Amino acid sequence: MIAVQRLDENPCRPRHFKPPPCVAIIPDGPAKQALEACRSRLLVTGGLFALVFAVVALRVVEIVAVGGGTAESQIARFRAVTEPAPSHADILDRNGNVLAATLDSPSLYANPKQIVDATEAVNKLVRVFPTLGAAEVYAKLTSGKSFVWIRRHLTPAEQYDVNQLGIPGLEFEHEERRVYPDGDLTSHVVGYTGIDNAGFAGVERGLDDVLRGRREPLELSLDLRLQYILREELQRVIDDFTAKGGAGLIMDVNSGEILAMTSLPDFDPNRPTAPDPEHPSIPLADRMFNRATLGVYELGSIFKIFTVAMALDCGTATVGSTYDASHPIRIGRFTISDYHGKHRVLSVPEILMYSSNIGAARMAVAAGSQTQREFLARLGLLKPPKIEVSEVGTPHYPAKWREVNVMTIAFGHGISVTPLSFATAAAALVNGGILRPATLVKLPAGYEPRGRRVISAKTSEQMRKLMRLVVEHGTGTMAAAPGYVVGGKTGTADKVSGRHYAERKLLSSFVGAFPINDPKYLVLTMVDEPHPNKQSHGYATAGWTVAPATSRIIQRIAPLLGVQPVDESSPEVQRALMVESLQGKRIEAY
Amino acid sequence: MIKLSTLFWLVLASAVGFAMFAVKYGVQSLEDELNRTKRAIIAEQHAIRADEAEWAYLTRPETLDEMNRRHLSLGPMSTKQLRTSVTDIPLRAVAPAVENPIVAVADQPAESPQSSIPTSTVASISPEKPTDGPQLSKAPPPKASAKPVAPRRPRSLDELIAQVAASR
Repeated sequence: MIAVQRLDENPCRPRHFKPPPCVAIIPDGPAKQALEACRSRLLVTGGLFALVFAVVALRVVEIVAVGGGTAESQIARFRAVTEPAPSHADILDRNGNVLAATLDSPSLYANPKQIVDATEAVNKLVRVFPTLGAAEVYAKLTSGKSFVWIRRHLTPAEQYDVNQLGIPGLEFEHEERRVYPDGDLTSHVVGYTGIDNAGFAGVERGLDDVLRGRREPLELSLDLRLQYILREELQRVIDDFTAKGGAGLIMDVNSGEILAMTSLPDFDPNRPTAPDPEHPSIPLADRMFNRATLGVYELGSIFKIFTVAMALDCGTATVGSTYDASHPIRIGRFTISDYHGKHRVLSVPEILMYSSNIGAARMAVAAGSQTQREFLARLGLLKPPKIEVSEVGTPHYPAKWREVNVMTIAFGHGISVTPLSFATAAAALVNGGILRPATLVKLPAGYEPRGRRVISAKTSEQMRKLMRLVVEHGTGTMAAAPGYVVGGKTGTADKVSGRHYAERKLLSSFVGAFPINDPKYLVLTMVDEPHPNKQSHGYATAGWTVAPATSRIIQRIAPLLGVQPVDESSPEVQRALMVESLQGKRIEAY
Repeated sequence: MIKLSTLFWLVLASAVGFAMFAVKYGVQSLEDELNRTKRAIIAEQHAIRADEAEWAYLTRPETLDEMNRRHLSLGPMSTKQLRTSVTDIPLRAVAPAVENPIVAVADQPAESPQSSIPTSTVASISPEKPTDGPQLSKAPPPKASAKPVAPRRPRSLDELIAQVAASR
């Protein structure tokens, strides 16, 4: 009012100016109603806004104070670039050497609809890939489809060359490829994969589920250095004695870890179907066959260690027991005779030392068929071995365990097992009597998996002493490795051909453990059909073939494994390996 | 008065708007850079994987064996080369005292055939040696004969051990 008055009182005010009324004019009637409606609408709108802002404010408080929902929802937008996990984890050996790796490998495809000049494109492509069929590629490029593979799995250099060609319509598809840097060295253990990285053999197949979608590499128990030595020495035996093939493995007897396992002939997992450049005549099926885990063999005399252990453990024999081995045993149509015949009564150590079939047969008969079957079952020899590779062989053994079977099984005929099963069981005989499953996966250092007691510690100790005798005085003298106290057993089996045993076809094997006074490692070597040569004086038996190889292997691997050499003639070692029943007796050379 | 506050809010609003867009574009460019870096890291990781595989290929036992054969000819370690403790190492025999000290010094580095004989026995014998051997000169035996192990600076580990063993 004051302002109005003041304006009115202003003498300089224009005449036509009328000051606006400053007091709210309260309209009546319909105008008032309209104003009220406006006000209420404003209120509702304001309320809505307030509500929305309250929600926003609450959300802000939630994000800041409470943590704001899941972290994933916040970083989702930053996930534009992430590394795709390799479809399969790498495989390493126990020292971290790469055995199998998944690498990026682009594949070249074409969109024929975008190809301008097919003839020129083909000419250029053939220059980069000389092995590519020009006619075939031309047919593909003029097919009118919108997607044709030109070549899978290019090397980086090839990819660069194709990019340099600058042909429109050629594209790369991101793919992965398994590479095996060590090639045929670990072929049977690691195995190989197909073009889409599905495991086809070995650990690749056996542990496919584990490897798939795993980021951390898988460490195997394998030691690449040992693997190389084992394979090289085995190959040497095969070459020297023109054998068909062979298998070998090195095992940690206290943990069951397999440190090396090889089967020869083998293949290159990078090109599994390509012929071997050095031996093109060997059929593919033979090279792909894993003799160590899939092949089942009548291993022959090395089985006698089980016969002796059984007899000692169940009490039907002591180390001092004797068996008449003066005459061959005739049973049914079989005649059991000795290869290194002594034609006299032999004691238990002598049966093992001279590898007497007659003695072993009599020992097994004395124990009985039930005991023998149960004992072999306890050692896991009547079931396929459990191992991480997919190829495992089912043992063959007689359904009805008759007396003749008892006798032949006593010296390793009439029962076929895989070398792996044999080694696992033999490790239990020397390690104190605990059977531990063989494994290809690296165990933590010092970890001893829980095993199953199969023989008493005392029997195991006796077995170690007897196996030492075989190397000291018996059939396995060539396996001796001075300083490493090797103990073992030779085995030379006649192979079955058709329904008969073939005299000329042998399977020579040797199982050795060292240092036998406190066994740490076991070496099993086997060669299939060795032929005598001049150096071996016409022999192809285990004592002349695989026993010297075992000696060489042990001398080479022991320093790598950290085994301290000892003086074998020292009183401590002599005392630890003394066989009481032979004390004071002259030990006859076999 | 009213105009001033309006101006203030206008400026504030535009400043906030500008800041918001600046931050937004800043974040976007940072995100782009992050993605670029991530892509580079992944490319680098793939390259490393390829290099690791290549390294494994280049250092496979077969190649190393071949290279060793060509350049080094190292053989497997024999048991003779392994000793469990220092005391197992045979002590080098002290060179028998000779008249001409120059010859004695020249002989020392060469492996003596008596190297396996413990020092104590040699030390007890050596003073008598000059009398057995032919007298090459009239000069009295040098100090070396009186003190078989002269405490001088050892030139090799064997010498050091021999000295320590002799002084015990």
